[in-house]
Amino acid sequence: MGKQSQVKSQETLLKINKIDVFYGTFQALWDVSLVVKLGEIVALIGSNASGKSTLINAISGVMHPAKGAIEFEGQDISTLDPFQIVTLGISQVPEGRRIFPEMSVLDNLILGSYNQRARSNKKQNLERVYEHFPLLEKRKNQLAKTLSGGEQQMLVIGRGLMSDPKLMLLDEISLGLAPIVIDELYKALREIRARGITILFVEQNVRRSLKEADRAYIMKVGRIVLGKDVAQLREEEIRKAYFGV
Amino acid sequence: MALEFLGNLATPIIMGLLLGGLYALIALGLSLVFGVMKLINVAHGDLVVFGTYVAFFLMTGTVTNHEFAILGIDPILSLIISIPLLFIIGFAIQKYLLSRAFGISMEAPLIIAFGISLILQNTYQIFWSPMSRGLTTSYTLGGFNFVGAVVPIAYLLDFIAALVVTLFLREFLRRTYLGKAIAAASQDKRGAQLMGINTGRVYAFAFAIAMATAAVAGVFLGLTFPFTPTSGVSFLIIAFGVIIIGGLGSMLGTFIGGMVLGLAQTLAGYFLGAAAQMLFAYLIVLVVLAVRPQGIFGR
Amino acid sequence: MDVERKMKINIQRLGKGLLLPVVLLAVLAIFPIIGVPRSWLLYLFLFFTYLSMANMWNLLAGYSGLMCLCPAAFIGLGGYTLAIVTWLGLPFYIGIIGGGVVAAAFAMLISIPVFRLRGIYFAIGTLVVPEALRIVFFLWRPVGGALHGGGAGYMIKGIGGITMTEIYWLTLAIGVVSIFLMRIILRSRLGLGLAAIRDNDRAAASSGVDVFRLKLYAFIIAAFVMGIAGAIFYVYQGYIEPSSAFNIRWLMTLMLATVIGGMSTEEGPIVGTIIVVFLHFLLGRYAGISLLIQGIILVGIMLLVPQGIIGFLRKRRIYHSLLQLVTRW
Repeated sequence: MGKQSQVKSQETLLKINKIDVFYGTFQALWDVSLVVKLGEIVALIGSNASGKSTLINAISGVMHPAKGAIEFEGQDISTLDPFQIVTLGISQVPEGRRIFPEMSVLDNLILGSYNQRARSNKKQNLERVYEHFPLLEKRKNQLAKTLSGGEQQMLVIGRGLMSDPKLMLLDEISLGLAPIVIDELYKALREIRARGITILFVEQNVRRSLKEADRAYIMKVGRIVLGKDVAQLREEEIRKAYFGV
Repeated sequence: MALEFLGNLATPIIMGLLLGGLYALIALGLSLVFGVMKLINVAHGDLVVFGTYVAFFLMTGTVTNHEFAILGIDPILSLIISIPLLFIIGFAIQKYLLSRAFGISMEAPLIIAFGISLILQNTYQIFWSPMSRGLTTSYTLGGFNFVGAVVPIAYLLDFIAALVVTLFLREFLRRTYLGKAIAAASQDKRGAQLMGINTGRVYAFAFAIAMATAAVAGVFLGLTFPFTPTSGVSFLIIAFGVIIIGGLGSMLGTFIGGMVLGLAQTLAGYFLGAAAQMLFAYLIVLVVLAVRPQGIFGR
Repeated sequence: MDVERKMKINIQRLGKGLLLPVVLLAVLAIFPIIGVPRSWLLYLFLFFTYLSMANMWNLLAGYSGLMCLCPAAFIGLGGYTLAIVTWLGLPFYIGIIGGGVVAAAFAMLISIPVFRLRGIYFAIGTLVVPEALRIVFFLWRPVGGALHGGGAGYMIKGIGGITMTEIYWLTLAIGVVSIFLMRIILRSRLGLGLAAIRDNDRAAASSGVDVFRLKLYAFIIAAFVMGIAGAIFYVYQGYIEPSSAFNIRWLMTLMLATVIGGMSTEEGPIVGTIIVVFLHFLLGRYAGISLLIQGIILVGIMLLVPQGIIGFLRKRRIYHSLLQLVTRW
């Protein structure tokens, strides 16, 4: 169901303009455009291999578009390295719960604030992360690999928060987790948005996406086939876009 | 009778453990680089020997056929010069040579490192002749008595140095931002990049630190053993054996691995004859490779 | 051995384009008879010796994903087998064959520890082998009692009557054999399997390729040829001792030749060896900086033209037209 957008400003934070992305000779993204405005929660929906992760990686600088441009706060970031993009204020929470397994929870979080901008706010950000995820504070000296799936996911999100982002990209945070845990995670996301951080998340579960997002883009086989305010989306449209039926 | 046998055994055991310190010291740099970049730098032994020759030059001022003013700098003191020197050289090698090699092909880093290895060996031979050299100082000439064993002082110094450097590295990796970044980059390169870590620069720093460690190793190597331009290969193999035994990327594991190898070597030499000690070390490396390539502490 | 079964040869396909090389071979073969200068013979001797070894190194490193740093082990063992055989009073050609056999057997032996390793581990593992052998032969006197001129060297006996011509023909033979071997292997099922392994040996294994067996075959074949070539070399040299027999220079020569010419190409070692032997002649007077120069060239080529000369030429159309012209007969 739709959510009333609480965004006052219509300012565009991220603009992707007709990008193509290749893995070698294989084209993964075709002419993809999307927009994320300040303060929004935007969902990127689609089945497997629809290119969602590739798009996220392109924004983060892990992959570079062969054609088209990616703009963040008006600046072209298409050719930047990942670490530069983090410094600008985009933080990716990658799929697969990629923690640093042999380091403690605390060390994982501290590493999140590696970039210069975030280092000065390290203490504050850490407290905030503990507010969102009290469990992490409890387990702060444990090795990251000893955490449960849900806790690791919290850790990765917390780590992303530590880099003082303006935009957070989350890739499939609900994979393999119990519904209760997923509820907690998305509750935290809402809290994070309430603090002023814009969110773009990738989610396979359509229902969940529509529940949490202001706007949604649906992808299929490397293209965006639908992009609308969630309030205005009808089930038929979604089914057609997602399944092509 | 038995007691005598055990008493004599004390010598190779003590020697082996202390010598293991030197082996660990040599291997630490290799272990760090391998842990971070998954690169076994085949020029590592020769780079350690570079540290040895630098110390030699600073001490004796000799270069083949020429003698500059004898600088007479004590080898350990000369570390003040050689550590930063090798740090910078290491940074440059990784940043400008090896990082490009990674992008070329899988074999390129190995081939280039091999080329560097031979360039270094030949360079040493040009400057200091194939003659065997040593860093002889007043304090390394003696031995001391410990549990009935007579141990060269140099071995003890090696062990202490190894302990110091191991702990230093370990704390560095654990406590500093750069250290943690190095550890992170070795566990998950892409994840590290997403943290805002410039992995290219981190690799260069890691290699530079490894070279600084090699400088230390080089000095203590020269204090302990005679060395020639081609000594590097032997110590590369030893270092490799150490990190295989001790588990890759772990500083403490490398330290223990060094002692295991040193001990195994001296015991083999004690029971089977000392002339073939190096050979035994090599055979042990091959056996470990055959039996348990992930090391005693490996996962 | 079911290797033959695996090497299905299409004789007709092989026969195509052979006329020119055969003529060339015949010409080369009569060189010593028609009184070609001795330096030419020396050049060609070294050329075919190094070529046979480089082809084999290329087979391992360029085609099988086995970055083998131990060619000196096989070469040195070939030479020592020759020496021991001649000291036992047997004819030298038995020593030559024996050299190949011993090297191949040794390859089989060390494959046990060394094949469990992949990539860089394999490389270092193979690096250990020649070093260990050097010490072994330094300490061990397998035949004879007296030490010649210090160290642990051996004169090769019973070769007083051999002429440069015969040695030349021997190397010519092994060189040509190596070229033929490469040709046959690469077009056989063994070659296909090796290519699959080189690209991704886990994937190859799951497609039913017996990774270990194929690598072993390549390893043994390479060792055999290197052993023979090494033995022939020491017939010429007349004297063998551990630090030069198991020296890293062998590896540098073969690696340089293969890399300059083009790793993973059939013609690469040929072109590379031409250059490397020429280089050796040039650097003959500067033995003290020979490895330095070779190292610099190696690093330079790897950074600038990693695909080697042949790899570079393959991208040019001229090369292809020229090749077609030459192989028409």
